[in-house]
Amino acid sequence: MWVPVAGLPSLLALSALTRGGRFCILRFGAARRKDVLAGNRRGLSDIHPQLLSNVGFGKSSSRVYRCRSEIKRYITSPRLAETLVQILQGKGDASQPILECNPGPGILTQALLGSGAKVIALESDKTFIPQLESLGKNLGGKLEVVYCDFFKLDPRSRGIVTPPVMTSEMLFQNLGIEALSWSKGSPFKVIGILPTKSERNTLWKIFHDLYSCTSIYKYGRIELNLFITEKECQKLLANPRTPNLYQALSVLCQIACGIKVLNKLPWSSFETYTTNGQLEKQKHRELVEQNMCLIQLTPHRDLFTGNLTPFNYDVFFHMLRQCFMKRNAKLVDHLHSLSPIDALHILKQIKKNKNVKVIDMYPQDFHRLFETIECSKEDTCKWLYDDFMEDVIL
Amino acid sequence: MSALGWGRRAAGLGRALWPAGRPRLLAEEEAFGGVRGHRRSSSASPCEQDRRKDWGHAELLEVLQARVRQLQAEGVSEVTVKRVDVALAPEASSAQSPGKARARAEGAAPKLSGRWAQKLDKEQRLMQKRKQRLEGRLQKRERTLAWQRQLRVEPRLLSGRLANQLQRWEQGAARSPWEEQLAQLLQEAPQRLSGDAAKASAVRGSDVRLEGQRQRLLSFFECCLLTGHLPLAHHVLVTHHSRSRQQRLLTLAMYNMVMRGWAREGSFKELVYVFFMVKDAGLAPDLLSYAAALQCMGRLDQDASTIRRCLKQMAQDGLQLQGLFTAVPLGEGERAELLRAVRKAEPTFRPPPPPPPPAPQLNTSPLLREVYAKQGCPVSYPRLHLPLKKLQDLFQQQLRVELATTVTVQSVEKAQPPTEEVLHARKTLADLRATWETALYQELQETKASEARAAREGRPSLFPYLCLLSEREFVGLLLQTLQALPAQGESLLFLAHELGLRVFNRHIVQRKQLSKQVQVLEQHYIKYLHLLASDTQVAERCLPRQWWEALGMPEAPHEQPWPVSVLVQLGKQLAEVLVQAVQMPGSLAAPRGPGSLIPVLYHVYSFRSFRQIGILKPHPAFTQLLEAAAERTLTFESTEVPMLCPPLPWTSPHSGAFLLSPTKMMRSVEGTQQHQLLLERCPPAQLHGALDALTQLGNCAWRVNGRVLDLVLELFTDKGCPRLGVPAPPSEAPRPPQGRQTPKSGLLPDLSPADKAEMRRELARRLKVAREMQSLRADALCRLSLAQHLRHRVFWLPHNMDFRGRTYPCPPHFNHLGSDLARALLEFAQGRPLGPHGLDWLKIHLVNLTGLKKRESLQARRDFADQLMEDILDSADQPMTGRRWWMEADEPWQALACCMEIARATRAPDPAAYISHFPVHQDGSCNGLQHYAALGRDSVGAASVNLLPSDLPQDVYSGVAAQVEVFRRQDAEQGVRVAQVLEGFISRKVVKQTVMTVVYGVTRYGGRLQIEKRLRELHDFPQEFLWEASHYLVRQVFNSLQEMFSGTRSIQRWLTESARLISHTGSAVEWVTPLGIPVIQPYHRDSKVMIKGGIQSLTFSSSGDTSQKPNTLKQKNGFPPNFIHSLDSSHMMLTALHCYRKGLTFVSVHDCFWTHAADVAVMNQVCREQFVRLHSQPILHDLSRFLVKRFCSDSRVSKSVWVSRLLDTLLSVPKTGAFDLEQVKRSTYFFS
Repeated sequence: MWVPVAGLPSLLALSALTRGGRFCILRFGAARRKDVLAGNRRGLSDIHPQLLSNVGFGKSSSRVYRCRSEIKRYITSPRLAETLVQILQGKGDASQPILECNPGPGILTQALLGSGAKVIALESDKTFIPQLESLGKNLGGKLEVVYCDFFKLDPRSRGIVTPPVMTSEMLFQNLGIEALSWSKGSPFKVIGILPTKSERNTLWKIFHDLYSCTSIYKYGRIELNLFITEKECQKLLANPRTPNLYQALSVLCQIACGIKVLNKLPWSSFETYTTNGQLEKQKHRELVEQNMCLIQLTPHRDLFTGNLTPFNYDVFFHMLRQCFMKRNAKLVDHLHSLSPIDALHILKQIKKNKNVKVIDMYPQDFHRLFETIECSKEDTCKWLYDDFMEDVIL
Repeated sequence: MSALGWGRRAAGLGRALWPAGRPRLLAEEEAFGGVRGHRRSSSASPCEQDRRKDWGHAELLEVLQARVRQLQAEGVSEVTVKRVDVALAPEASSAQSPGKARARAEGAAPKLSGRWAQKLDKEQRLMQKRKQRLEGRLQKRERTLAWQRQLRVEPRLLSGRLANQLQRWEQGAARSPWEEQLAQLLQEAPQRLSGDAAKASAVRGSDVRLEGQRQRLLSFFECCLLTGHLPLAHHVLVTHHSRSRQQRLLTLAMYNMVMRGWAREGSFKELVYVFFMVKDAGLAPDLLSYAAALQCMGRLDQDASTIRRCLKQMAQDGLQLQGLFTAVPLGEGERAELLRAVRKAEPTFRPPPPPPPPAPQLNTSPLLREVYAKQGCPVSYPRLHLPLKKLQDLFQQQLRVELATTVTVQSVEKAQPPTEEVLHARKTLADLRATWETALYQELQETKASEARAAREGRPSLFPYLCLLSEREFVGLLLQTLQALPAQGESLLFLAHELGLRVFNRHIVQRKQLSKQVQVLEQHYIKYLHLLASDTQVAERCLPRQWWEALGMPEAPHEQPWPVSVLVQLGKQLAEVLVQAVQMPGSLAAPRGPGSLIPVLYHVYSFRSFRQIGILKPHPAFTQLLEAAAERTLTFESTEVPMLCPPLPWTSPHSGAFLLSPTKMMRSVEGTQQHQLLLERCPPAQLHGALDALTQLGNCAWRVNGRVLDLVLELFTDKGCPRLGVPAPPSEAPRPPQGRQTPKSGLLPDLSPADKAEMRRELARRLKVAREMQSLRADALCRLSLAQHLRHRVFWLPHNMDFRGRTYPCPPHFNHLGSDLARALLEFAQGRPLGPHGLDWLKIHLVNLTGLKKRESLQARRDFADQLMEDILDSADQPMTGRRWWMEADEPWQALACCMEIARATRAPDPAAYISHFPVHQDGSCNGLQHYAALGRDSVGAASVNLLPSDLPQDVYSGVAAQVEVFRRQDAEQGVRVAQVLEGFISRKVVKQTVMTVVYGVTRYGGRLQIEKRLRELHDFPQEFLWEASHYLVRQVFNSLQEMFSGTRSIQRWLTESARLISHTGSAVEWVTPLGIPVIQPYHRDSKVMIKGGIQSLTFSSSGDTSQKPNTLKQKNGFPPNFIHSLDSSHMMLTALHCYRKGLTFVSVHDCFWTHAADVAVMNQVCREQFVRLHSQPILHDLSRFLVKRFCSDSRVSKSVWVSRLLDTLLSVPKTGAFDLEQVKRSTYFFS
């Protein structure tokens, strides 16, 4: 589903362009980078003493250590930022606020603000916050900056949460955002870059939240605009025709959302920073050679109209995870350890051959399989699965 | 073949060993061959063989003669020789070697001078090798089909020369005596040892895996021998031997084992085959191999000369004849045959007398001198209160239990009147079980057949293990497993391991039964009882172990446990049988469901993080059926139930405790052998302290406190009472609003997705609570049912210890280590009159149990009890209906039991004469710190943990809090913000947990988290300072400890650093406790073991063997606490031994010592004295000396940097303070 977006060259042209454009971006970026860095340095020297005390006492030592190894990417090219603004604001109403995750130096934030949008910047790195706040000074509340890590909202371990880890209730209450019902749509949209190291885990978390209607999805069908690596993007879009990439996440994603690929960029269009706002040298070759895709995930309005609901989504998750553990096995073998209902009978109902393999099943087939078992009237016990068996990660 | 041919061959080989005896031998062999009929059945027909032989003969003769002429004429270089050989080889390939040998014998050898002969010989050997290889290939092809049908007997050897030898002899089988071959074979020197060693060191990485495979293979052979599948074992040995990759797995022990099997059967030919293989593998036969050979000769009644040659060779190999009788474990029959053989050769030979009984061995530890002293202080070992007759009866009961291997106990769940429904369910279940039995039986047989096929293909399969027990027993075991499977399922790995272990235990019990050991045990045990019974006399008072040893019970051969991989594989196979075979009609699951059969067990997967775990789960309908049938029985393994007679005394690291079931003295993770090896290696006398202490703890007789049990059961069968530790029945659990199983739940269309999400959360929450309640309930049901089962009986809790020497009772469900409730249910079976002070101790104990008045003197506590006497008597008389004072206590049930005891004692006509069964406890106050303070001789620290006499008990936590407060005030005055904020918040409670755990190695990180938690609980504490304040406080707590226990901290650091360096040198930390128990820390890097095939591959990690590299972090962090634990266990054992000598009843829960109220004062005195004795030893210097010897004396490694640093560290033993240890003896509150 490579959808060319209005106002942008088609994909082929785009990829050709990026080559040329990349040069521009690089050059331009280089010039800008100085500015940004200078700004950063200024910012750093301003807040340095305070920062130290914060690092020393605000977090436990281990957490600081863990963050240090985390590399973050930021959009630093104003030209890319302009392109993104066009994509995001091209359609739809401008009154909908945009939630920007980890804006970093704030290039995109600036561009969004310039287009007149209302922006909520969730930044997990304290270093950038003063500078971000300075961006919104004269805009009369168009920009809100919150010290918060979007990708760690609502942690599963019900411990005490301290910023940047927050609960969605805390966050949205403070921002004054009200929940909309599932059919109504979404009160805001999100733009961000998936964390480099934990892309898959973050995706799992997003889909858990989506299917269980919790966290941000409690507030409506939130549209996510995310930069992810091309590889991961291809996996999300995979189906039996691309069996090597096909996996549980593909099914979950395609069942739940409409997916649009809005843009594709080389990785070098971004800058990477370590935690303390230091520019990271791009030394990981394999990362450099990867492309990044901007995808738009819009949850389907009719996702929960059938028998798959936030009440039983975990069974669906379990079914998929188990099936894709042995992807090349026959589906009928998996069914034996999923449900006590006669497996052949089920297959007949979903009109599949008894030799059908897991990787031959399209996402819709899995959906139908689930609904069939869930609806079956014969047995009192439909699933062998039990909440007790699963302790969900994240 | 003619006699002449044989003679020529022997001459040609130049090994004319025994020219005189030859003809006679030949004659005998012929007779022997005729009788036994052991002739190799060759695949080629005789005539064909002859033809080939002739052809080869002629051809070879020609070639060789040409070659000889050539060599004689011109000294050709080796190179050409080789080329000729290569050219020759293919032509000669079909020729049989005997022909060639003859050719050489006839042609070249006699004529040629020495040097040429040698050269020629060499060439020929080369040629033979090549031929052999080609022949081998040919023969293999010919025989492939045959192998599949029959088991292989004759080996294929990798060394060409040996193979040649073997083949020649085989072909001459009619004439050549097998035993001659053996004698000759013996002279062959092992050839490949050096090469193998080099190879072995090269593949060091895969060592662990190789070792694992070897263990499995050895265990397979052993099991084959046990089940009488010797030919199969031989077959697998031969198959492995013939493949060079697999040959690496074979060890001498395996060859010896198979040889011994053949020796027992008197099959000489097969034995020789194995001998060939031993030589071929380049191994040197040891005593066991010779013992097997000689035994076989003895059985076959061979003549003297053969035996003599064998003995001669043995002497040449440097093995002692005497050693055969002392160093080789032999059965009686085997021994007789062996002796017969030896006597034939040396009629005057006398086997060395059996080693003298080890009685004179005495423990020489200075700490134990008094315990084992014959004179000096008076000895009054306690006796049981039961007469001999009664004890004998009890023994019979226990024996019956262990022979049955399981105990069925009535459940204490309230009995419902059997309704129609219940009866129907029971009938269904009974019918199902009957069908399952047949199904399981069939499935087992099929599995056995397929495993047998696998074995025939040369793989070490499970076949012999499946033959160990009868099918009936396996079926019983599996049905029992099915019955006990929890509704939410059980991990397959766990289940498999459990099943494997049970098979092993049953097999051991069965073996003991078959080998008549039970009768021997019975005789000895009854004699042993004379020492313990109340109505018998013994000549000399001694310890149970000494008495048992004096009885001279023959030490039963110690069963090697199977490797874990075998246990798991066997268990998995059995679990698969269960899954396959057990089915029920589908109509049980759904009224309108299919009439066909559906499985009862399902293999499902669960995800933990990204790991996938296989689980066996019963069909919910089956669980419902079980519930409906409400069968009121529970089944336990016999080792899970307390013993009904006094346990066997511990006499060695693997014999003691239960009568038949094997028990280890040192418990460890299954599959780790390092502890066991270490124990076996140390001199027996060194372990006496531990053996006797464990024996003595196990000899304490217990009974159930019936009145408390009644009260608990009343609550239990009613609604339960979680506050008092009595779990509520499932009916009290929150019901799921609408279960997942009810069709419409969560599918109601009018609910919004968010509402459904909320419903799901609610459901999950309730399910979780229900599940927790259920598991608590099941646990309590086990414990109470056992208590009920044992009511009105006397029982014993056999003990063993962990790797540091801390002791634990073996039966897991019902023992004195459990919760308050479990402890309250137990009392001493033997009573003692309270005496003048007993009642006071009961009162003090009661106040201790309430947790009030911790800081008061003993006197004050007693007075407090006197004031409360009314409440106490009320609690005793109307526990459930009165004022219920006891329920407010820290340990309510024990307090109640104590109230009842006090009530009975005060109402007795003479309280001093009242016979009390009640155990009174004395607790060490922060025992870990007590040991540290004594080690470091810290005066301030010693005072704060009650090592110094004082009027009131000291509280170390308050002491630390006060010290922290001092530091805080200083800092506050200096203007430190956080110190000012903390004003008024520093209390005992805030620091307690950190101080308590500091002994066990809590770090600043962990300590900060603990303190943060405490501060969070203080509501008026400004929460924004949490992190800063906890960070500050933990630093101050550590500083205060440093100030108070200066020695302690430096000792901890010293221990940690030593462990770190030892671990870096590549070893696990080892030490010996002051009592002589060898300790090794079982923390190693994990190595994964994978068992493939079947329904699921199982992976488990083993981390407990010395061959694996140590886990430095765990070794380092574990050493200080483990060392302190080894000290506190030594203190406990010393106290136990001395109390026993004084006739006291003594048991312990680590640092909490129990005895009768009348004896508390004596026990306290012993406890203090022994503490002083223990710490008067130069413990740290001894440790340092031991570690230096163990880790720094090896000259090969002493050059390493780590070792020299280690040596420096070890030699700088921390300095100690000036505390006078003797003061402990007068400290009332040391243990109180």
